[in-house]
Amino acid sequence: MSSTSTTNLKDLFLNGIIKENTIFKLALSLCPSIAVTNNLKNGIFMGLAVLFVQTMVNITISLMRKVIQPKVRLPIFMLVISGWVTITQMLMAAFVPDVYAKVGLYIALIVAFASILARAEMFASKNSIVPSMVDGLGMGVGFLFALTVISFFRELVGKGTLTVPTGLSTQHVFTFINTKPVLIMVLPAGGFLAVGILMALFNWIDIRYMKKGAVSH
Amino acid sequence: MTGKDIFKITLNLVIVYLVGGFILAFVYANASPKIFRNNEKAEQDALKILIPGADFTKLGDWTIHDKHAKYFEAKKGDEIVGYVIQSFGKGYSSYINTFIAVDKDFIVQKINILGHGETPGLGDEIETDVFKDQFKGKDIDHLKVLKTETTEYIQAISGATISTRAVSEDAVKNGVAFLIKTLKEGGNKDVQHQHN
Repeated sequence: MSSTSTTNLKDLFLNGIIKENTIFKLALSLCPSIAVTNNLKNGIFMGLAVLFVQTMVNITISLMRKVIQPKVRLPIFMLVISGWVTITQMLMAAFVPDVYAKVGLYIALIVAFASILARAEMFASKNSIVPSMVDGLGMGVGFLFALTVISFFRELVGKGTLTVPTGLSTQHVFTFINTKPVLIMVLPAGGFLAVGILMALFNWIDIRYMKKGAVSH
Repeated sequence: MTGKDIFKITLNLVIVYLVGGFILAFVYANASPKIFRNNEKAEQDALKILIPGADFTKLGDWTIHDKHAKYFEAKKGDEIVGYVIQSFGKGYSSYINTFIAVDKDFIVQKINILGHGETPGLGDEIETDVFKDQFKGKDIDHLKVLKTETTEYIQAISGATISTRAVSEDAVKNGVAFLIKTLKEGGNKDVQHQHN
């Protein structure tokens, strides 16, 4: 892991998306994910917010790893996570209030994300800055991917619509199913159903088609 | 663990938290005046949308859920066309900052949600026009939330009954009740600092 050659970084990046996908493989941070994924726009914004905070936290923890006493590492990780979340919120509210009005809700939820703490503990606190950054990016993109797929599925089945963020100012809602949608899919119980179904599908595809890649792991 | 270890660990934690605290304080000190101005602007924009073409005069302040809120008089020329009151509703995970426009007879004309921290995907449906438009034409006796289909009262959002109630039965109802009490029954506009 100490080598920073290009292939290793590429593997590291893909690791977060496929082999250790936060939702589909590690089953972490399910609670906030299920809460927000009942429309596509929410899924995408939440994913982007996590991608940003995960990367910044990984970089910060990696920089600090030599000065953190192991026995108090968890409270320090929590400080870094909540600190980044708060700073991001304040800066967005001050400089890009229009964007903040749209994504502010999602950013506040990130403090409670187990996946971010998990990466700080398992990776960033043991690795140098470049691999930590790539790991954060990979984990974040994997999370964004998972949330996008889940929210696409839930909104389509549960409401028969897709809410697409175009830029950050407007959104288009278009309906293309005229029958009554399966409302349970947008309610919390449907979140578990959707995550379960998609998790099974993801793992089936992974085992069936990605087997060769998995052997080297 | 020796005493020296305990000292080292404590010092480590104290220093890291102090540095973190200073960074947060620094960012807050720089960002908060801008955030304040942004909020003021958002408030002005909200007023203009609630009663288009009217001029607003602040009548006073009131308090709900220990939060300070304002209320305004809307005039077109010399004629009073209605009032706008800011109110807060206690939602699922936040206080919902709501602006309510009423006409001279205290019938709700329009509401606007300025800020809240409700669950994205469930509670944040209170921001949608479909939900907000339900309030048009409702008087204070028709703000009850029902879980069934209704146009006479307010229909709850699936999965977000608490947020719906917070807006309708808490923020809007208390806001309108305060306006009626202060402006109509009181009949005296000097009573501007009544507390709920």
